[in-house]
Amino acid sequence: MLKNYLKIAFAVLKRRKFFTFISLFGISFTLTILMVATAFMDKVLSPDYPDFKRERSLYVATMEYKNLKEGWMNRSDVSYYFLDHYVSKLKNLERMAISSYVKSSNAYVNNKKIVIEYKYTNADFWKVLEYEFLEGKPFGQREIDNAEKVAVISEETRKAYFGDDKAVTGKYISADNINYRVVGVVENVSKTLHYICGDMYLPYTVSKDDYNRADLMGSYNAILLAKSKEDVPKLKKEYDQMMTKVPIPGDFDRVYSNADPFFVNVTRRIAGDGSDNGVNESFTVISVFTLLFLLLPTINLVNINITRILERSSEIGVRKAFGASSKTLVYQFIVENLILTLLGGMIGLFFSQMAIYLINSSNVVSNMHLAMNFSVLLYSFIACVFFGLISGVYPAWKMSKLNVVGALKSQ
Amino acid sequence: MFQHLFKLLWNKRKQNFLFLAEILVSFLVTFAVLSFITYYYQNYRKPQGFDYRRVWAINYNSGGLSKDVDSIAVFYANLHKALRSMPEIEEVSNSSSNFPYSNSIMSTGLTHNGKKVNHVYNYNVGEGYDKVWNLTLVEGRWFQPQDAVGKQRNIIVNETLKKAIFGNGSATGELIGDYEDKEKMKIIGVVRDVKANGDFHPAGNAMISLQDTGLLKSTSNILIKVRGSADARFESELYKFMTNAVKNAVEIQHVDEMRVSKNKETIIPMIIFIIISVFLIINVALGLFGVLWYNINNRRGEIGLRRAIGGTGSSVSYQLVLETLILATMSLIVGCFFAVQFPLLDVFNIPTSAYIIAMALSVIFIYLLVFTCSLYPAKQASGIHPAVALREE
Repeated sequence: MLKNYLKIAFAVLKRRKFFTFISLFGISFTLTILMVATAFMDKVLSPDYPDFKRERSLYVATMEYKNLKEGWMNRSDVSYYFLDHYVSKLKNLERMAISSYVKSSNAYVNNKKIVIEYKYTNADFWKVLEYEFLEGKPFGQREIDNAEKVAVISEETRKAYFGDDKAVTGKYISADNINYRVVGVVENVSKTLHYICGDMYLPYTVSKDDYNRADLMGSYNAILLAKSKEDVPKLKKEYDQMMTKVPIPGDFDRVYSNADPFFVNVTRRIAGDGSDNGVNESFTVISVFTLLFLLLPTINLVNINITRILERSSEIGVRKAFGASSKTLVYQFIVENLILTLLGGMIGLFFSQMAIYLINSSNVVSNMHLAMNFSVLLYSFIACVFFGLISGVYPAWKMSKLNVVGALKSQ
Repeated sequence: MFQHLFKLLWNKRKQNFLFLAEILVSFLVTFAVLSFITYYYQNYRKPQGFDYRRVWAINYNSGGLSKDVDSIAVFYANLHKALRSMPEIEEVSNSSSNFPYSNSIMSTGLTHNGKKVNHVYNYNVGEGYDKVWNLTLVEGRWFQPQDAVGKQRNIIVNETLKKAIFGNGSATGELIGDYEDKEKMKIIGVVRDVKANGDFHPAGNAMISLQDTGLLKSTSNILIKVRGSADARFESELYKFMTNAVKNAVEIQHVDEMRVSKNKETIIPMIIFIIISVFLIINVALGLFGVLWYNINNRRGEIGLRRAIGGTGSSVSYQLVLETLILATMSLIVGCFFAVQFPLLDVFNIPTSAYIIAMALSVIFIYLLVFTCSLYPAKQASGIHPAVALREE
């Protein structure tokens, strides 16, 4: 039966080529946009180089003071002191990667200015994250304890500073008038991982800030690694309990800091604050926008479909006169619509590959490489089917309600 | 004629429901895009209010400098003298971190006669600030050294803030309270609006106060105006000089490059939005074209009859186009009802004039769209030969 439906579907599509063209254009374009958006979200949310241990990680990024009576709020990154003094003592914690947010500095090579974004890290940073070293190795606890002026640089920085030289370990790179000895070169990190991405990584003991100042706010963030995936909820509970014992500074009456899984960390930053993790708001906004975006193409497709059905009213009338039930006709029509949508989906896939290639080569977000991997394809397929169903149901229902006698008469 | 057509169409409204829905949603999408474009264009046309060219921002970490008030005053006095002596530097001024195009925002509130004004951008600057940016005063005077000492704080406000509080009157000499109305500050001048958030955003309310010696220890930004002769070689020398002076990390930014980045933050999302909307509208146009063509084809009998009775070809196409336009009008009325909520509820802080212009442009655009889509099918209909059409029964 399905084979017959396929044959009928193609025959109908070939009959009115202009309508087919309009439908395919609309579907493929809508699905292209959906696929590129999915690829982008997938890139931002799923584990990406070098952060592969996301399943057993919690992310600490902000410290928030609130005065509920007056309505004041102060929000900032956390300080090294907070991480060292309170967080490192948690029992369920296996390791903690601490790094500061990037600051910019300039280097002048051959009368050319290079902007170097540098950050300070601890030794465990290199054990938690899986950087790929093109040369050398990371600095360890010994270099940190001695406050040695060593640096790990990114491949991009190596190219900008040293040119085509591929063996720069041991050479010196000068930034803020200090000469740092290069101990390793790592592969570039996409800027979508803004919390760990940098051009130059330095030991935190080299920082001229007083990282031991007894203040909870600073410019650091941390990735907490639990012993296993199952230990993550235990770690989170322990963290929340620790926060209840943290002293509250003078003018305020509440202190908030959260250790969140990756996705919640993102939504909290965009739509939430210390006490609300923003997941509901983000989901609502994303769903509303997607539905609104899909609204126009769907209405368009429904319109075109109804038009085409009215054209085939005599065919439908004949089938009904011969005893086809409404259910059969609805089923046939939805299958035809799904075929059209999947065809449009394949064209959309081709266009989205082109769009992704354009986005990657334009380097809009530095070092971000979008790709169509399996999960993106799966979501796109689901989107196609969903789209086909919602644009096919109403016309199919209308068609099945057609009056046999009237349909046969209006020749 | 209109009334007759309107009645016919109203009777067939259920059939045309999808057509109406499509026009409504297209109108709303067009309205949204055009509102933003109009708003940004209106802001773009306002004057800059300052000269950002050849201005460099030196950002440094002040952690290593002395915390003693007197020694740091001496430090900055010597630093400014050394900088000014460099032939490539024209003007020098300290600044708070929220100078134009930086990604830093410092805002506060003010009180006047019991009324609070919120979201006032708060700039705390050195004496040479007006010369670095070529600021223009429309009233009063710029700061003088004696404004930094003395019990009463003197401030300068911008035109937007002056209009918000004093309307068309003069603001010089007036007293204004801070956020809690505890400290009273005197306005000594009004400066022309500066588009500090990029070319596409309004200046907003702004107040400027002079840095006093107490705040010097937390300063970490110096702005300089350089001459045309300043190049990369000079920049690297300046960089070495600054790192030696502050003994800490230094970053030199070119303000014109910062302006380009800031504008990109507005332009890139706008371009993506426009591309998506254009494709949606093309989609709709093609769909409308197909549906109209099919509907008109269905009415061959009726059209043939009209021509047989004596209607001309052009009157037939005129009627068909008019019908489509009236259908669009029915939809647009509902659309305008939704659109007019935006200025009434003052959403997104966009001025009403932008909304009205966008609404008018969207209505015209939808009419043009519907007119173009119905033109070809209507022309085809006018070519229907009455004898052929009536025979098909």
